[in-house]
Amino acid sequence: MTTDTKAWKKLFTEVIDAGLCTLCGVCSGFCPYLAYHKGRIAILDNCDLANDSQCYQYCPRTFTDLDALSRTVFGSPYYHEPVGQAKKIVIARSSDVRIRTKAQYGGVVTTALSFALEKGLVDAVLLAKTPADKVPQPFLARDMESLMQCTGSNYMACPVLYGYNQFPREGLISGGKLAIVATPCQVLAISKMKHKPPQNRFSVDGIKMVIGLFCTWALAPDRFYVFMKEVVDLADVTKFDVPPPPANRFDVYTTSGIVSLPLEQVRQFTMPGCAYCTDMTSEFADISIGAAEGIEGWNTVIIRTEVGEELWQALISNGKIEVSELPAQNLDHLKEAALLKKKRALNELRKKSGDPKNLLYLGLSPDWVEKLLI
Amino acid sequence: MSIALNAPGTSQLFIGNEAIARGALEAGIGFAAAYPGTPSSEIIGSLAQVAKDVGIYVEWSVNEKVAVEAAAGVSFAGIRALAAMKQNGVNVACDFLSNLVMSGIGKRGLVLIVCDDPSAISSSNEQDTRPVAKWLDIPLVEPGDFQEAKDMTRWLFDLSEELGTICMLRSVTRIAHARGNVKLGELPQIRHKAFFDQVHDLSNLMPTRYIPVPSPVRHLFQHMRLNRAKEKFETVPFNRYVGPRNPELLIVTCGSCWLYSLDAVKALKIDDRVGILKLGTLWPLPEKFIQDHVANAEKILFVEEIDPFLEQNVVEFIASLPSIGRLPAFYGKRSGHLNAYGELNPDTVIKAICSIMNLTYQPRPVDFSSRAESFKKSHVPERSMTFCPGCPHRATFWAIKNALKLDGRNGFVTGDIGCYSMAIGPAGFMQVRTMHCMGAGAGIANGLGKLGQFGFDQPVLAVVGDSTFYHATIPALVNGIYNKSNFILVILDNSATAMTGFQPHPGTGMTAMGEPTDVVSMEALCRALGAKVEVCDPFDLKSTTATLLDMMAQGGGAKVVIMRRECELVRSKKQQAPYRVCVDEKKCIGESCGCDRLCTRVFLCPGLIWDKKAGKAKIDDVICTGCGVCADICPRGAIVKEAR
Repeated sequence: MTTDTKAWKKLFTEVIDAGLCTLCGVCSGFCPYLAYHKGRIAILDNCDLANDSQCYQYCPRTFTDLDALSRTVFGSPYYHEPVGQAKKIVIARSSDVRIRTKAQYGGVVTTALSFALEKGLVDAVLLAKTPADKVPQPFLARDMESLMQCTGSNYMACPVLYGYNQFPREGLISGGKLAIVATPCQVLAISKMKHKPPQNRFSVDGIKMVIGLFCTWALAPDRFYVFMKEVVDLADVTKFDVPPPPANRFDVYTTSGIVSLPLEQVRQFTMPGCAYCTDMTSEFADISIGAAEGIEGWNTVIIRTEVGEELWQALISNGKIEVSELPAQNLDHLKEAALLKKKRALNELRKKSGDPKNLLYLGLSPDWVEKLLI
Repeated sequence: MSIALNAPGTSQLFIGNEAIARGALEAGIGFAAAYPGTPSSEIIGSLAQVAKDVGIYVEWSVNEKVAVEAAAGVSFAGIRALAAMKQNGVNVACDFLSNLVMSGIGKRGLVLIVCDDPSAISSSNEQDTRPVAKWLDIPLVEPGDFQEAKDMTRWLFDLSEELGTICMLRSVTRIAHARGNVKLGELPQIRHKAFFDQVHDLSNLMPTRYIPVPSPVRHLFQHMRLNRAKEKFETVPFNRYVGPRNPELLIVTCGSCWLYSLDAVKALKIDDRVGILKLGTLWPLPEKFIQDHVANAEKILFVEEIDPFLEQNVVEFIASLPSIGRLPAFYGKRSGHLNAYGELNPDTVIKAICSIMNLTYQPRPVDFSSRAESFKKSHVPERSMTFCPGCPHRATFWAIKNALKLDGRNGFVTGDIGCYSMAIGPAGFMQVRTMHCMGAGAGIANGLGKLGQFGFDQPVLAVVGDSTFYHATIPALVNGIYNKSNFILVILDNSATAMTGFQPHPGTGMTAMGEPTDVVSMEALCRALGAKVEVCDPFDLKSTTATLLDMMAQGGGAKVVIMRRECELVRSKKQQAPYRVCVDEKKCIGESCGCDRLCTRVFLCPGLIWDKKAGKAKIDDVICTGCGVCADICPRGAIVKEAR
C-alpha cells in the first residue's frame, strides 16, 4: 500500500470518508479545493500540499493532543472532569424579555454577544444562521439586529469555521476583534488553531472570545431535510427543540402547532462523526452555555477562562443577566450526561479502530481512558 | 487577392480552397452552400465575399445535409450549384447523397467538394472520404496542385451536367490550405434564370420527377453513367505520367502525394529510374490509361493519403487483366512501406523508395532530431492546447467542474465538437468524458438519462456549442424531452462558430453574405419544445454554479442551461476590455498562501503567469483580456479587477 502524503487525501481517508467528519468547516472556506455544499465537504481539484497543511492540521478529527491544547487554553494539562475545567457553573437567563422569548432557553448567548458588541469588546460575531431554507450557514453579525436573526438552535451541523476562513477574502484579515459561537468540535478546532496559529488567515489573536455550546450530536442537514420535507413544510418551521430526558422527543414548532417526533427517528440523521465526540460541553471554550435541565427558560453556564470570567462579571454588573445557583442535582445530571457521552465515544472509537488502545484521533492517556470507562 | 479578379491569363497566388472557389466561379455557379469545417471553410468564405459582386447566392447552411440538399434543389431549377464540406460533413449528408445518386441531378451541374484532414489536424476523426464516392457510385477526382484545384472544379461541372450526376472533388489539408500560383481563366457573364421545369401537361403522365425509385433501374443507370465517366477519364490532362519509358519502380499517386513523390524522386536523384503515374480521376479508374503504364512495371509503389484506395482498386484491376502474366510486386500500405493513417510527406516517401530500391539517403545529420528536440526544450515554452485568455468556455467548465464535485454524485460531461472539445484536456479541467461527432453528446446523454431504473444516479451534462446546437442537437433534445430522459443540455452560446473562423449561424443574426436576418432564438425554441431553460452568464461563476446545482438536483426530464457570453475574439474587436486586472502584490503571498497556486496550476488562463523569482502570480498584460474571472477564483482576493 502506498501512503499518500497529500493533505486532502489523508483528510478524506481518515476523516471524511471514514465517517468522522462533524462538518465544523475548519478545512474549507479559505481553501479553494475543499468546499462545503449541502452537508458535505467536497474536493474540487487536486492539491499537492502535504499533510502539515491547515485543512488536515486543524481538523478536530485528526490527531488531537488534549494536554497540549489544554496548556494553550488554560495553562494546565487536560482536566478529566466530565464537564472540563470550570471556574464556576451557574444557571442564568437574559434580563431582556425580548431576547428571552426568541431564544432557545434563557437567551444568555445572545445577551452576552450583544453586550460584547455594544461595549466594543468585539467587532463581529461569527455564528450559525438559519435562513428560510432552514439549512444553517455561517454568518457574521455586527450588530444586535443581525444577532437577533441568529437566535435559537436547529440541531443542525453548520460549518461555522468555513466562515472564519473566508475573512481574508472578505477583507477582514487582521485588526478585527471577533467572537465565535461554536459547538464542541468547532471549539476544539479553534483550540488547535490557538495552539499552532494558522498562517495568512484571520489572526487567532483576533478571536477575543469563544462561546461554546452544549452539544450531544448534530444533524446532517442534507439527509435530515430529505426526511423532514415529508413531515412538514420547512417554510412553516419556527423552531426545533429536544426537551430534556426522559422526554425522548424531537419537537418541531410550526406556524400551525408542534409536531413531535420520536427522538430515535431523528437521531438516525446525526452526523456519523458525532458518535466519536467525547465533549458535550465545549470544554475548551471561554464560556460554555446550554440548557438548564428541568428549569424552563434558563441556561446552564460554565465559566472556564479569565476571558470568560471577565465577560461574565461585566454582564452581571451591567444587569444584563440574572444568575442563580445550579442545583446540586442538576450538576450531577450534567456530569452524568457528559460522562456518558465520553464513554460512548471512547467505546465507538475503540470499536472503529479495532484496538482498545487506538483511539484514532484522540490523544488521551491510557490511564484516563481506563478511569473514564469504569 | 479576390477570387473574382477579372484578369484571365494572369497568375494569382491562391490557397487551394480559393482556387476551388475560383474554379466554381469560372464554371458559372449561381449557388454555393456549406457548413464550416476545417480544412474546407475558405471555399464558401471566399465565395461569400464576392457573392454580391458576381451576382451569386452563397450561404452557411445549418448543416452539411441541408447544404447539399439545397444545392441539389438549385440544380433541379437549372442553375449550377456547389456544396462544400469536410469529411465529417459527407457523413452527415450521406443519406441524401445516396438517394440523390438514384434520382439524378437537374439540368445543370452539381459538385460536391470534400476536404479531408489527414492526421486529423483540425478534426475529431481521421477519415478518407474517397471510398464513399465509390460506395455512392459517383465520379471522384482529386487535384494534385493548386492549378488543378481550379481547373478540375470548373471541368467537374461540365462532367456533372453531361453525366447527370453529382460529382465529388476530394482535397486534403495540404492542398486546401497551402498556397500556389493559379493561372486564371475567363469569368463567364451569366444571367441566371431559375425555373423548376416540370415538363408536365395534361397529355404527359410522366412529369419530371427527382425520385430514387425504381431504385434497381436507377442504380443501373448510375453504373452506366460511371462507365461513361470512365471513358472520359482516359483522356483528361489530370492523369499523367512522368519518368523513363521502363522505370525500375512505378509510383502510383494522387493529390498532394503527387508533390511529395516528385520531391522524393528529385531528392534521391533517381528520375531516370523511377516513374510517377499521377492520377487525377480516382473513381472510376481510367483503366486503359493505367494499363498502358503498368504493363512493363515490375515494382509498383502506391503513395496516397489516407487509406489504400488506389492501391486496392488498381491492384484489383491489374490482377483482373486477362493478359497479365506475372504480377508486379506491389508496395504501399499493405506491404508496410507506408502508413494507412496520418499524413505522408516527402520523407516518408523517400524512406519507402529507399527500402524498395536498396538506397540510402541521409538528408541531414544523424543527431538532427535529438538536437532539434533539445533546442525546443530550451527555447520554446511548453504549451498545451488551451482556450484563449478571456474565453467564456474556461469559466463555464470551471463552474461545471465545481458543480459536479459539489453535487457529489459522480456526474459527468458528454462533449461535442467545437472549441470546447478542448475540455477533454486541462483547458477544461478534464471534464469531458465522451466526444464524437456533431450532436453526439446530447444523443449519448439521451441513453444515459434513461438508466434510473438500473440504479444510475449520476447527473449527465451534455455540452454543446451554439452552432452545433443548430447543426445536429435539436433532434436529440426533442427525443430527450419527449422520452423524459434525465440530462441537462448545456449550450455554450458564444455567438460564433468560433472553431472554424467565426462564420455566422442561425443564432448570430447575420447571413454568410453579410445580410442581417432574424435570430432563431435557442431559448424560445427549447422552451417551445417543453424544456425548462435557464440562461447564465458563465463569468458569474457563483450563480452559474448554483444554477447547475439546482438543475441537477431537480432531476426529471431533459433541461437546458444556456451559457451566454460572446466569444472573446469577437468581443475584443468591438469593445475595450471590461476590467483592468492586476495582482495585489501585498495580498498574493505565493507558495505560503495555501492555495497551491490555484490560478496558474489549475485555472490555467494563459493571461496568468507564475513569477518564479517573486514567488507570486502575475498578470500578463499583453494577452490578458480583462475578463476578470480569475479575480473571482483567487481565495485571498489577491487578483484585483477594476472596472475600466
